[in-house]
Amino acid sequence: MTTVATTKPGFFERFFARHRGPLLVSPAILVLVAMNIFPLFWSFGLSFYKYRANRQAEPVFVWFDNYIKILSDPVVWSRFQTTAIFVAISVLFQLIVGFLLAVLFEKQFPGRRVLLMLVLTPMMLSFVAVGAFFRYYYEPTFGLLSQAIKAITGEPFIILQSPAGAIGAIIFADVWMWSPFVMLLVLAGLVSVPKHLYEAAEIDRVSWWRRFRTITFPYIRGLLLLAVLFRTIETFKLFDAVFLITEGGPGTSTETIAVYVYRVAFQYFRTSESAALGYILLFVVVVLTNLYLFFVQRRARET
Amino acid sequence: MSYLKKLRASVLGGALAAALGSAFGGMAAAEDITINMAAPDWPPTRIMQDLANKEYKAKSGNSVKVVLDFIPWPDYYTRLAASLTSGEKKYNMAVSDSQWLGAFVEGGYYLKINDIIDKDPELQAIFKDLHPNLVAAYSTYPHKSANYYGFPQMPDVLVNYYRKDLFCNEDEQKAFQDKMGYKLPCTPEEMNEVDWKMWEDFGKFFRRAKGDKLAGQTLDDDFYGIAYQAGKGYDFNSMQINGFIWQYGADIWDETKAPNGQALGVVNSDTAVKALEHYLSLLQYAPPVAKTGTMDIFKTDELFREGKLAAHIEWIGFAETTINKEMSKVADKTGFAKMPATKGADGKMIRWSNIGGQPFVLTTWTEGATQSEAIEFVKWWLSTPVQTKFAQAGGQSGLKSVFASADYNSYRPWNHAFGPSLDWQKDVWHIPEFFELLVQQQEEFDKAITGQQGAKQALDNIAAFQDKTLREAGHIE
Amino acid sequence: MPGSSPGHEDRKNTDRAEGRLAMRFRRKREIGRAGLRRSLVATIISLIYFFPVLWIILTAFKTHNDALAVPPIFLFEPTLENFVSVFSRAYSKGAEAIDTGFALFFFNSIFTAGTSVLLALIIGTVAAYGFSRYPLKGNETYMFIILTTRMLPPIIVIIPIFLMFRVTGFSGTYHGLILLYAAFNLPFTIWMMKSFFDELPREVEDAARMDGSSEWHVFFRICLPQVKAGIAATAVFGLILTWNEFLFSLLLSGVNTRTVPVAMAQTIGGDIGVRWGLLAAIETLFLIPVVLVTFLLQNQFLRGVTFGTIKR
Repeated sequence: MTTVATTKPGFFERFFARHRGPLLVSPAILVLVAMNIFPLFWSFGLSFYKYRANRQAEPVFVWFDNYIKILSDPVVWSRFQTTAIFVAISVLFQLIVGFLLAVLFEKQFPGRRVLLMLVLTPMMLSFVAVGAFFRYYYEPTFGLLSQAIKAITGEPFIILQSPAGAIGAIIFADVWMWSPFVMLLVLAGLVSVPKHLYEAAEIDRVSWWRRFRTITFPYIRGLLLLAVLFRTIETFKLFDAVFLITEGGPGTSTETIAVYVYRVAFQYFRTSESAALGYILLFVVVVLTNLYLFFVQRRARET
Repeated sequence: MSYLKKLRASVLGGALAAALGSAFGGMAAAEDITINMAAPDWPPTRIMQDLANKEYKAKSGNSVKVVLDFIPWPDYYTRLAASLTSGEKKYNMAVSDSQWLGAFVEGGYYLKINDIIDKDPELQAIFKDLHPNLVAAYSTYPHKSANYYGFPQMPDVLVNYYRKDLFCNEDEQKAFQDKMGYKLPCTPEEMNEVDWKMWEDFGKFFRRAKGDKLAGQTLDDDFYGIAYQAGKGYDFNSMQINGFIWQYGADIWDETKAPNGQALGVVNSDTAVKALEHYLSLLQYAPPVAKTGTMDIFKTDELFREGKLAAHIEWIGFAETTINKEMSKVADKTGFAKMPATKGADGKMIRWSNIGGQPFVLTTWTEGATQSEAIEFVKWWLSTPVQTKFAQAGGQSGLKSVFASADYNSYRPWNHAFGPSLDWQKDVWHIPEFFELLVQQQEEFDKAITGQQGAKQALDNIAAFQDKTLREAGHIE
Repeated sequence: MPGSSPGHEDRKNTDRAEGRLAMRFRRKREIGRAGLRRSLVATIISLIYFFPVLWIILTAFKTHNDALAVPPIFLFEPTLENFVSVFSRAYSKGAEAIDTGFALFFFNSIFTAGTSVLLALIIGTVAAYGFSRYPLKGNETYMFIILTTRMLPPIIVIIPIFLMFRVTGFSGTYHGLILLYAAFNLPFTIWMMKSFFDELPREVEDAARMDGSSEWHVFFRICLPQVKAGIAATAVFGLILTWNEFLFSLLLSGVNTRTVPVAMAQTIGGDIGVRWGLLAAIETLFLIPVVLVTFLLQNQFLRGVTFGTIKR
């Protein structure tokens, strides 16, 4: 009895000590494998078959046929272009607006807590409400935007009638909704800058830009990186805003790749092609984020 | 395997119990059966659930519960498609849009009901009583073949909603006579005889700016004459454009001629181009949202209910709300008539239009007692008294014995336009590839609506795409 | 780090310390004026930013006739009818008003979102600590793979998830949805918490270990309190994302486990386009819990880690 009691904890302790890392991360990995990685692999496998979920024909192994078909499809390329425009402009503006908002809320002032809540609410709204109401705001007869402009010009303002207007309108809604996300992350970084550093800088009469680069930026860098990363990934999947505001129109000018994936998967029922398309999309995002992380880390090493 | 065995055992058990039950005259214990049905969330299905809860009792003595899973319309297709294709086998029955038949029959999800009909004289009687155009649209796959899959749940057609108060206003009547040289239609009878030329005149005539007079009152906002669906989503422009194409005597790709029916030269024929140009030209009289290519059935409905429109073309399914005072500013001012038509060379009206509404279907895994109870439920639903009650509550019925009865027109002010319109209904393709055709067509039409390309270009693109897609799928040789 | 060296220097330098003291006095006076100015600017900007939401909330109190009025109405007689019909309404004309099940949907949303965020937070924080303090071989790769699970459009993995749920009997259950949402939240939680753990100075931990503190003590007593802000912020983000998740809820929840966003979608489409008042009322009610939680946690992530010993 006693020998068991003394050796066993010893064994476990040693086991824990040696495998602390794996043990700590394993619950998370387990949940992810069960809920995310398995479905990912399933669709990865499927992407090499010819299969439609609305046909009874057995899946046929076709190697890279789906990938070749998709990569040679001009529609896919034009959807990627549209998505790239959305991602580039939208994330950039989210960063700018989010950063400016964070600077505004960085210091203590009367009413800060309540005002901050007002700015945070857009990202708490559901997509259904944001989509429906922004479509209404842009609508030329009832919409607030059109009516405000009509009061001046006398003509109804039809922002959604041109491709550029429609893209701008969707980006505006997206930026409005998600800039608070960036703001909150930047804010969390800003408030963590120790005050004595700023005070010291003030005494040394350091320029604003130098102070930002040498004191502020190092503290928000990590979180800014996260913000860009997550907003890029999410914007690549932009679906609801498009589907609810323009339905991809006028014509196909706001059809993003996520909308196209939905069509291929659930409307055309080219099930395995949609899996392949998903993996091409995944590949693009992986490459982009890797490039991004690479540059960020190199710059971090340089400074 | 064991799961299948269990299933089979329970089915056998059910059959045995049913046999015993009939043999011993209901001495065997009644079964509890639940029929799960996927249904879009709107009044026609809510009324069905309501009637079923209150009145439906299975004749077999089993305690049968029909449970409708109400799913929001905009996401209904996604939910149903995901459920069917994943093998979830959750639903025994489903309300289905008619176009989905091909896609889900080929997947092996919708149950073929020919054998069931053959064995059941009551069902045969129901099918005889149904309008043949409804049977073709809601039941058959391949389209217009003798393979049956569905039963009508809520048949629907496009009709003309118009503002009685404006069209019958004396000042407007007089002004219209002076301007156009003929009488402005006012009664439903007069409105039934309207063709697209007159419809255009309504558009010109009723276009008023803010500050103008309309029926004696000064307008505080711009007012528009006419509108119909011109939206990019789902089928929200094709349903109207198809009507134009058919009325002109052109055609969409005809699947009943497969593999010999061609898309090139048919879809983009000169007549079809003229029809589409006509459709596009009338959009200039519609509210400004038409220019965005998002003026779908929900938008014209909203514009009309908010009193921004003199007339629009809409599914009957929206009528109940239009005359509901809480939802509509024109509740007591709206009249209904048949959709405008094209006057043929012989002076007769050509009224072709695309059918709406939904059938409901059984799923292939619905077997044994559940299947027979589901069929019993269908027979109950499609019985004349229940359909009459449905119609009285605001639904439409496809049974001749109901919609052709003397009282039918008295239930709702739009009912008079329903029966006669049925004779002129056609449907789009039922083939499994329908959604690819539909999405591409909607995109091309939307480009034409938003001025990115002309009618000819749009139809040429559509024809080329259909030719390619249909060839790949083996529908064209 | 160049930023931290002046800080150390000035502590030794008495001249500078005096200067700092003088500045503190000056600043106190300035905060009053500058604070008010900032307050004014922030109020204007916040109100503009908030306007689209304000309009939704106003719409919730409007009758159907006022909702789309042209020109738009800002002052009106508020009505509560929309809020009543959130919970009970007639689905067809003439029918009796019936329970919409919204109370249940509301509970479902709170329950599934709350539990899954909590679960993700616990598992994720522990994992983040592991990744930060005990890097595995190929640590970066693991982190990246975790991130990739968020990159695919969810529609791609719907069918396998469906299959999985059918096999395991998870379909339509709370635990299925909670596990799925927890997995959905994990990548962000892990990345976020790791970046917070990475920022912590190791010196304190190491000192504690030297003193013989157990790993548990180091984790719970030393590290966790320092990343409170991170936990609060992560919880808020996770809650917001889960709260409004739509697709999985639409496809994988049952009649009794359905969440509010799906019920909300009922108000657009259907027979009458958008029921503006009803949609706005549901959204307004639905905002309250997240706004409350965020407001309560706000102090945590606003106060931040104020001690000056933080790394960098």
